[in-house]
Amino acid sequence: MTVSFLTNWVHYLVAALFSVGLLGFLIRKNALVILMSIELMLNAVNLYVAKVSLALHSGAGLVLVVFAITVAAAEVAVGLAIILNLYRAKRSVDVDMFTGLKG
Amino acid sequence: MSDIAAGLFGVLTLGCSLGVVFSRNVIMSAFYLILSFFGLAALYVLIQAPFLAVIQVLIYTGAIVVLFVFVVMLIDQDKLLEVVTGKTLVLTAGVLAWSLGLILLRALNHSPMAVPVSGQLPTLRTISLSLFTEYLWPFEVLSVFMLVIIVGVFVLARDKVNA
Repeated sequence: MTVSFLTNWVHYLVAALFSVGLLGFLIRKNALVILMSIELMLNAVNLYVAKVSLALHSGAGLVLVVFAITVAAAEVAVGLAIILNLYRAKRSVDVDMFTGLKG
Repeated sequence: MSDIAAGLFGVLTLGCSLGVVFSRNVIMSAFYLILSFFGLAALYVLIQAPFLAVIQVLIYTGAIVVLFVFVVMLIDQDKLLEVVTGKTLVLTAGVLAWSLGLILLRALNHSPMAVPVSGQLPTLRTISLSLFTEYLWPFEVLSVFMLVIIVGVFVLARDKVNA
């Protein structure tokens, strides 16, 4: 199956954006940047959901994206509050410092 | 024309995401994140979803990145300079992310895409109407959820020592 680049540019972008987010999630040690990388992955998926919804001429996916963005905002708020608490505990946001649950 | 714009904003979005991942300074990461979100908003316009573009700019660049910058401000700058991650870890993560990207691309390109049926493209009017009719219950649940999150974050982020 041959796929033209121009008709499917969203596919390439979504795959690349998700991979970049995953890469950031894996290689960075700063909790703030890890949270940003999670946002990048979320955005990639949002873009694809919106694209599919519009291809089907349906508004359901767009509503889903609005809900996802709302939940993402809540997630970031909670995540940043947790990071703030981590900083208060150890005066650092380096995730390698927090090995208390390692067992 | 729209292909050129898509390529331009796609490159902007991707380049700025790489900037988020690879810049040493967290505040630079936050600024790259803003640019990346603006690029994504432009892409939403290009795929005929201007409503989502507005939401993206308002919530992501207007609220979420500001939240990030606030927390960066609360944390000592010298604490943010991170230890360089090991070379093997970076290589392994790179291979992992690269292969996942290829798998994802293959899955997206080969998934059966239903042919658009009849009907108009959803407009702001139809989306808003469905929010208050078809999706009223999830919408209300979400608003209660936001209230819970506000209280929860307040409790979580409160300074227990000086309170």
